[in-house]
Amino acid sequence: MAETASDLRAQLEPPPLIEGRHDDGTLNKTLNDFVWRRPPRGWLVLLLLGMAGTGVLFTAITITIARGIGMWGNNIPVGWAFGIINFVWWIGIGHAGTLISAILLLFQQKWRTSINRFAEAMTLFAVMQAGIYPILHTGRPWFAYWMIPYPSTNSIWPQFKSPLMWDVFAVSTYFTTSLLFWYIGLIPDLASLRDSSTSRRARIAYGIFALGWRGSARHWHHYKIAYLLLAGLATPLVLSVHTIVSWDFALSILPGWHTTIFPPYFVAGAVFSGFAMVLTLMIPARRYMGLKHVITARHLEAMAKVMLCTGLIVTYGYLMEHFAAWYSGNPYEQYVFFVTRPRGPYAWAYFTQMFCNVVVPQMYWFRWARRNVWTLWIGAVLINVGMWFERFNIIVTSLHRDFIPSNWAMYYPTWVDFSLLFGTICFFGTLFLLFLKFLPAVAVSEVKELNHELHGHRGHPGTEGAHP
Amino acid sequence: MKRFVLGEFEEPYACVDAVRRLRESGVGGLDAYSPHPLPGIEDALLLPRSKVPLVALTGGVLGALGGYAMQWYLNSVAYPITVGNRPQHGFWTNIPITFESGVLLAVLSIFFGSIFGFFQLPRTYHPVFESERFRTASLDKCWVSAETEDEAALEELERKFREVGAHKVHSVAESV
Repeated sequence: MAETASDLRAQLEPPPLIEGRHDDGTLNKTLNDFVWRRPPRGWLVLLLLGMAGTGVLFTAITITIARGIGMWGNNIPVGWAFGIINFVWWIGIGHAGTLISAILLLFQQKWRTSINRFAEAMTLFAVMQAGIYPILHTGRPWFAYWMIPYPSTNSIWPQFKSPLMWDVFAVSTYFTTSLLFWYIGLIPDLASLRDSSTSRRARIAYGIFALGWRGSARHWHHYKIAYLLLAGLATPLVLSVHTIVSWDFALSILPGWHTTIFPPYFVAGAVFSGFAMVLTLMIPARRYMGLKHVITARHLEAMAKVMLCTGLIVTYGYLMEHFAAWYSGNPYEQYVFFVTRPRGPYAWAYFTQMFCNVVVPQMYWFRWARRNVWTLWIGAVLINVGMWFERFNIIVTSLHRDFIPSNWAMYYPTWVDFSLLFGTICFFGTLFLLFLKFLPAVAVSEVKELNHELHGHRGHPGTEGAHP
Repeated sequence: MKRFVLGEFEEPYACVDAVRRLRESGVGGLDAYSPHPLPGIEDALLLPRSKVPLVALTGGVLGALGGYAMQWYLNSVAYPITVGNRPQHGFWTNIPITFESGVLLAVLSIFFGSIFGFFQLPRTYHPVFESERFRTASLDKCWVSAETEDEAALEELERKFREVGAHKVHSVAESV
């Protein structure tokens, strides 16, 4: 009986946050090992592939700029297609980074510590991809700066009552905040790279970006508060960004867009897809970079739980959309939700979305699915696909059949559309690979702090004993 | 010429304890260096409350006010656009950008206020970096320093550092 009880306890006990005993020295070595190691062949191959895909992206951008967005499949009525789908998809992916780094910090979730740097980098790179699309979509991207309120000789100013202008402010604020938050977190780690470098060149390069950080207690004192405040500001900011993105749709009167559930449902969907992307990238990275001792089964399991939870919120959003359409009694709304989407020409996209976003995450109710890297990884990839199709359904399916059947038209993407999507995925991957090689992918100073907190101080009396 | 006595500690707690004892024994110009924040060092060094929140609040309020004023002026005075006979001054539609500009300015003031103001960074030189051993301060050891102008006091300081348990005690001088 006693044995069963202790067995049960062992089963219920979560896996550790940091596996094994480490001191600051070994943490430095193992966490920064990938930076100092010669680039492995697999990394080089992936980098080359990523750069080739980035070439495809820039070719597609050049074609779009040179010949206009007529090269895309957009038409009337489907004026927003791949451009906005990809924009919303990438922005959404970015949201998990802020959630992990800021919201989980405020909630004092210790498991965020070894994955926050990784997720923040993902945010930055995802927002960079997202930004490409609306700028190209303006049609004349060389005038994109007209969206910024600057005094021009024409005395023309932006229309601030438009959600599209709100988007400009939201996304640029979000990018700036994410960048600065990421960088301020990097400074102590850049200093440790500077101080552990063996070559003069690396020491100078990291030294420049470390800004002369010396880890002074007087600096840490302000640093901790600055970091916490940045997290506190990033938290409402991230909610505002996807809320504003959802208003791009919800403030119009198009059936399928004009609904009040959009802001919370978009934010949950963003976090859902973002966690899926973090897992997609992290599962291979932690293996090849030797980070399994700080990114343990506990972290993966926690992320699976977040995906399950946000997946349920998204499912609720889908249900509410359908319910509101039925309850409104509005024939156009009902037509979108009960005819166009499930039975129209894009029904395959609708069912892909429902399968990937509603059915797939249900497996994370079970521990075996949360503990197995394969179920986690495949589930995460499917969720990424599903979230892309969700935006496809919201945008293309709603637009292609609006009020009057004489307006209706089908939408078919062109090879330029596909090249842009494929290209941004490659560009994102390239930036990520460079990040993994040249910067500490794990917040080393924070892991050291956590390690001290968890395992205390070897061979010394407790805190109280040390300070009589 | 500024001189610093430096001493290394293996354990964060020993370092905090040493700082406290040094301060109590009348040593001035103390600072501690560590790869991660040291719990309890604020009390040991008697650091005053950080002013970062004040900077953040100022930035946030100015940003929000500025953002609102910008929208009001540009859309109601400088370049009114009439769409569907809606009022020129749309209070509700101004809220999102007001919020975003408030956050943006708060974030910028926290970041640049900390870096330039509170940390006095970037700096290319600090005397503690004269010591090659000091490199461990960002890796796995903690260091304590005491600043002094008086060369004669160095020996006494070094003795005090050893008394509180510091290893590798030595002094560095600012190169002029």
